[in-house]
Parts: sequence; structure tokens; C-alpha cells
Amino acid sequence: MNDFTWLIGGEAGFGIMTTGVVFSKIATRSGYHIFDYVEYPSLIRGGHNAYEVHVSNSDASHLNPSIDVLVCLNKETYEKHRSRLTPESLVVFDQDEFEIKENIKKIIIPFKKILARLKGQPVMKNTISLGASIGLLGGDIDELIKIISEQFAKKGEEVINFNRQFVQAGYDEVKKNYSDFILNYLVKKPGDDKLVLTGNDAFALGSIIADIRVYVAYPMTPSSTVLTDLAAWAEKIGIVVRHAEDEISVINTAIGSSFAGVRSAVGSSGGGFALMVETLSLAGITEIPIVVFIASRPGPATGMPTWTEQGDLLFTIFSGHGEFPKIVLAPGDNEEMIELTAKAYNLADQYQLPVIVMSDMYLSESHKSVEKSFVDKFISEYKINRGKLINKVITNDKIQMTNQTQNSNIKIQNFLRYQITEDGISPRLIPGTPGYFYQANSYEHIEDGHTTEEAKPRIDQVDKRARKWITYLENDFLMPKVYGDIDKSETVFVSWGSTKGIVLQAQKLLKEKNIETTLIHFNHIYPIDTHKVKELFKHDKKYILIENNSWGQFGKILAMETGIEIKNKILRYDGRSITVKEIINKL
Amino acid sequence: MTNIQDFSGYNPTWCPGCGDWGIGIAIKQALVQLGLSPSSVAAVFGIGCSGNMNDFLNAYAIHSLHGRSIPTAIGIKIANHKMPVIVIAGDGDTYGEGGNHFLHACRGNHDITVIVHDNGVYGLTTGQSAPTAQKGFKSKSTPSGIIETPINPLSFAITSGATFVSQSFAGDAIHAASMIKAAVNHKGFSLVNILQPCVSFNKINTYQYYLQRVYKLGEDYKKDDFREAVQKSLEMNEEKFPLGVIYQVEKPSYTDQLPQLKNEVLIDKKRFMEFDKITKTFI
Repeated sequence: MNDFTWLIGGEAGFGIMTTGVVFSKIATRSGYHIFDYVEYPSLIRGGHNAYEVHVSNSDASHLNPSIDVLVCLNKETYEKHRSRLTPESLVVFDQDEFEIKENIKKIIIPFKKILARLKGQPVMKNTISLGASIGLLGGDIDELIKIISEQFAKKGEEVINFNRQFVQAGYDEVKKNYSDFILNYLVKKPGDDKLVLTGNDAFALGSIIADIRVYVAYPMTPSSTVLTDLAAWAEKIGIVVRHAEDEISVINTAIGSSFAGVRSAVGSSGGGFALMVETLSLAGITEIPIVVFIASRPGPATGMPTWTEQGDLLFTIFSGHGEFPKIVLAPGDNEEMIELTAKAYNLADQYQLPVIVMSDMYLSESHKSVEKSFVDKFISEYKINRGKLINKVITNDKIQMTNQTQNSNIKIQNFLRYQITEDGISPRLIPGTPGYFYQANSYEHIEDGHTTEEAKPRIDQVDKRARKWITYLENDFLMPKVYGDIDKSETVFVSWGSTKGIVLQAQKLLKEKNIETTLIHFNHIYPIDTHKVKELFKHDKKYILIENNSWGQFGKILAMETGIEIKNKILRYDGRSITVKEIINKL
Repeated sequence: MTNIQDFSGYNPTWCPGCGDWGIGIAIKQALVQLGLSPSSVAAVFGIGCSGNMNDFLNAYAIHSLHGRSIPTAIGIKIANHKMPVIVIAGDGDTYGEGGNHFLHACRGNHDITVIVHDNGVYGLTTGQSAPTAQKGFKSKSTPSGIIETPINPLSFAITSGATFVSQSFAGDAIHAASMIKAAVNHKGFSLVNILQPCVSFNKINTYQYYLQRVYKLGEDYKKDDFREAVQKSLEMNEEKFPLGVIYQVEKPSYTDQLPQLKNEVLIDKKRFMEFDKITKTFI
């Protein structure tokens, strides 16, 4: 069985997160796919952390109902997760720390004694448990030692060797006492390089591919690792990352840098985005491109910071005062996150409007393996499209200051930044281009950017901006992907964003029981092509809406845009993602 | 060379006698004297009578949102740090709605010039009191007199890390122009706080009021002494208004401290293509 779940749990602040990523990387380096998920409270110390890794032979982005190997660094881990054990599950723990009375397969690793013998810190229980886990799963200990060596490379040979002893101790303990229990689930097999990415990593990577130059953010869970990823790479890549004083400054800084000509993005969760929406409206009227990343968590207000929800959808599509076009995308997994993020930067430039990429904690913080060949191929095929941007700026300061004034006969012209065009998109000039000037005006304006309160130019500009949506729907909007054969299915699932992998797994299991189903999965969320989308709902089928929120928000958008109402719903809003089982049980 | 006409857009709509006229002339005069053209300077306007200068001044500009012109200017500077960036906004905009941005722009020593029209009232919304209004100032929003004490823009800026802090008076356009020029030439965050009568809604802080209370700093004034500058700025609290450069020190600006901008302007950089350097960290 090369499809299993390993879960490690312990007190927050004891390195569970790092240990989990190491385990995921061992699995991918051994030729397997992974999807992992972390549960943690909004605390740095204390409270319970749990990190589970779903290892599979094939691509997956869902969790299994049962746990095959449970590593308990404290008693709470066992108590919290025992309901997911099967008679075959192995439970790793230290009898010197707590007792387990139930008759289960116990793998007793003397963490305490090993720590005492090797003079280790309590946090190094993780290292021992990794050694023990690799031993139990028939994995390659050299691969583990290699990762540990990479982790501590900067700290030198001594630290590496010190850590190595703990890995070996855990591993030896299993080999010596539990050789009969060893499961060959993680035996190394050939496989191509895989990247272990979170959805946030995928957004950051997609942004780099798209030539982002300025990223501005204020930390907010679960979006913060986009900021820390890009900040860590900034000097190497040559971009600027600004951690501004608040989210209002965040988006206005990005508006400034985008106006000046570089691709710019901001990121936050729902609460931070709420602070940005006035400026989203500014981007709408000034037609300054911007990419906004939202990683949702359950609201309202502070809500449940470290849990997941798709509760910001309606807020997002309606965000900003006044009427202006925006584009909302919601990737279903890491591959889509890379593709749609890079596309978002093109769309923002082509249509000169805000493009919002929506994620949630489940997608943003879970790692999922992505074939490196997929990323390489995408990079080689991706083309930057800056739309109607004219770049003739001369940044050498001397030339810039004197160029157009050397010949005094040439009058500096007011560029028609908001020229009325058929497709709604006006030429855009990078500020600093000699011979011209223009203003990007937050007031309603005429074609050259000057303020107006007259009726006709107002109508002309409103209509011009609105035409950008029509152009987008004709040229760049993509219909939802349909998974399955709708003619053969009685049930048609409808979902968007991060629930994709979960529904696909449910379909797979149902198919094993000879039940054909179809999934209509939206990732180009708003606007949608009303007529084409309507067609998908004309069949006499049982449509079931699946969303991680309590209102069925996407269902409301569908109803608003197409008149279609989906009565059957699977909605979950307790901070946890929808499970495969819930979907199957609903049938 | 450019001339005043090159920078002149629509005819201003300010009230006759408004201090904005003097400031408007001073800004254009300074830009001409700096050898700039409408193509080579970026301006970010706030919302208010001062921000309405967006239609009267030719430049690459954003007419921003109320309170948000400073971060917008910071963004322009980051993308093109060779371009002079000026903010033109009011006291309510800068010290009220955008107070947090002002504080952090000082801290960051962002190389932008903030020109504040300081008239103690919200003119465009017909005269409510601003954060710089004297305590007890009666207005439509504070009919019994404002309870809060006024912001002191000078000490606020100096103690927050600004490296150029100056004050001028709308009644002296030549002085204002010289302050704006010095501020734009300064590398780092520069403030030009311009005291300005609002002839329609502020019957207290009139031209007469200011003429009796402003004075120019002497040549012996040491502008690089932090303590003395703070001391000097506190005279504002006693309704004495020093004009001139109150404080100026040389410190690296925000963009000076970004190694990635050392040799190139962000808008000119070649696209980063060594993706393996990033992807390998995830294997």
C-alpha cells in the first residue's frame, strides 16, 4: 500500500512544522507524491500542533480518513487522533512519558532516555521520531541524513553530526525491537524531481515567473509566508519587498509602483483585504494594474486565524465602492496556483484593473508535491503580456531632465491616458517618458486625465471601463473544467477553488463503486460568461454545490448571474476543510 | 529650460485670496528652477483644495485618495528612484487621515518631498477643524471648540526620523519656492509645512495673524542639531512660527539601502530568469 498517512503531533513550539516538511521531502525524494496539512492554534507556545502527511503513488490534494503511523510527542496527540486509528495503525510514543492502555500496535521509542543519553534538547524528540518513522516505513535513512545535513549546513559539521546521532538512535530502536512491524511504504523508487510547495509558495513562485518587481504586505495568517518567501528571495532576484505599516499603505504603495511601470502585487487575508478595498476602487478608476492575493480564514473579524474557510468570496467580488471591473480567480491546487498567478499579472496589465487571486488556509498552508518538469515547462511556455503599455522611459537622470527641453519647439503633450477605445482598454505610458505627461485621476476624468463632472464624459468613461469585462470574457475568460462524463452521471458536483482535489478523490472512490459523477470546477470565478455557464446547468441532473462556507456564496453568484439555483449543498464552516467522506455520504 | 507655462494646466478654482495660489506658484517656480519638466517629475496629490492642484499642474501624477498620497509616492520612488517624487496635500490629509503613513515615511527616510498646505481647516468640505487647529478652535464640526491639542508637524516629523524638516508661509511664495527646491534636492524624506490662511473658513489664522507671528531663522541657526531643532519646533505650541529649514541631516534614504537598486532602476532591470535557484530550495 503506497498510499498512507503519517501524522506527528505535539506541543506548539516544539518544531512539529519543520519536522513535517522534512518528512514530506523525504517522501518526494523517495519518488512519491505528498499532500500535507497542519493544524495549529494561533499561539507560538503551548496548545496542540498536528502535522499530517498523505503520501501517495499518484498526485493528490486530499486527506485520508485514517492514520497509518501516528507519532505522539505527547499524550494529547494520542487522545486527539485515536479515533482515526485502524487495527493496523502503528502508534509511536514513549512509555516513560505516558501509558496507552488500549490494545493497539505500540512502537515504544524511549525519547526521554535517548535525550538523556545523548544530551539532547527536548525539541530533538522530533529528530528521533523522524529516524524511527523512516525505519518503520522502510525508508532510506541516508535521504533523511542528507536533508538534516542541508538544514544545518550553515551551522557546520559538528551540529550535523550531533543531530545525526538522534536520527540514528530512533532508526536503530525500530530496527532492533520492531523489525516485525516494518511497513515497506516508503521504499525508495525512481521518480522525477518534485517541488514541495504550499499554495503560498506557489503564488510566490508564479509571481516570480511573471516578473513581479514589487510586493507589499503586512503579515496576516495564512498569507504571511508569501511575504517571507519573497522577502527572502528579494535581493537575489532583484525585486523590492516592502513590509508596510498597514494594509492601506500596502496597496497604495503597490499602486504607486505599478503606476510607475513595474508589476506589483499585495497579499493578505480577509481582514487585511478589508482595509485595502477603498484603494481597490482607486485602481478601478485610475486603471492601474494590480494583483491582489487573498488567503482566507474563517471570519468575521479576527475569526479563527489558523483555520480554513471560503467565506470571503462575495465580499471579494463586490469589493470596492462604485462600479468598476475586476477579475477574480481561485486556483484549485498548486499547479493551478502557479498558472493562474502568472496569468493574473498578464490580465492585470492587459485589462488595467485589479486581478484578485483567492486562496484559503487549506490551499495556502498545505504542501503539495508538484513535478519540477511541470514548473519548467510552464516557465518555458509562459509569455509576458503587458497589454497596451508603452515603455519609452529614459531613466538616466541627465537625459531625462533635459531631453525634451533641448529643443524648445517641441511642446510637452498631455497623453490621452483614458482614450475611448472599442475594447475599453486605453494605451498606458510609463511615467518618465519624455515629451508627455498625464495624471491618473481618482476623480472621474476626461480622456487626458483631467477632472470632469460633465455627464457625457462620465458616461463615456463608465462604459469604456465596463467594456474591459466584455473584452475579457471574449478573450481570456476560461470556462469551468468539467471532470467526468456529464451524460453518464446522475450527480454533478459544483465547486470552486481549493475543494477541487477533495471532490476528485470522492469521484474516484464513487467510481470504484460504479457510481459515475461529474465535477464542474470553477477557477475563473468572476466575471463569468453567463450564457455559456448556463449551458452546463441545463441537464436533468442532481447538482450538488460544495463550498467551505455557510452561505453557499458561489451558489449565490451563480444564481445572480444565471438564475440557476442549486438546492443541494454540502457546506462546511467549522474551520476544517470538507472531507471526501462527507461528499460520499451525501449521495 | 522649461518655464512656468509648461507646468501650468487648467486655471485654478481656488477662492480669491486663498493661500493655495501662493503655494501653487511656488511649486511651479521651484520645479522650473530645478530644471525639471512635466515629463521628469512625479506628483501625488491628496484630496482637498490643495489636491485640486492636480488639474492646475502639469506632471506625471496620481490624484490619490484622501490620506494615501504618501504611500503612493513611496511606491513610485521604489519603482523609479531616479525620478523626483513630490506629494502635494493638506494638513487633514497628511496629519489626520494619513497620520500613520506620515510617521512611517519619516522613519523609512523615503526620498520623497511632502508639501503640506497647513491651514487648520478642511476647506473643501466647508470648514471643519483639522488636526493642526489650535485648541478651542470653533468650527462646524467642533461648535464648542476643538478639545484636542494641535499636532505639531515639525516636532512630529523630526522625532519620527525625517531628515529634512522645513516650514514656510503661503504669503511668501519666494521663500516657499526656496524651501521646496531645497527639499527636492535633499536625499531622503523632506517636509515643507506651509502655513496658509483659508480666507473662507478660518477667520482666526489669517494673513495678519501669521504676519505677526512668523519669523525667518537666522544664518547662525544650526539646522543639523537634533535637540535644538526639536526645541525650535516646539515654539509652534506658543504660536510662534519659525520659517526656514528647521532640521536637516544626511542619512541614507530607503532606496539607498536596497542593494538590488544600487546599480539599476527597478523599471529598467532585466527579467530574472534563473528559476532553478528558487525551485531547487523546494526539492
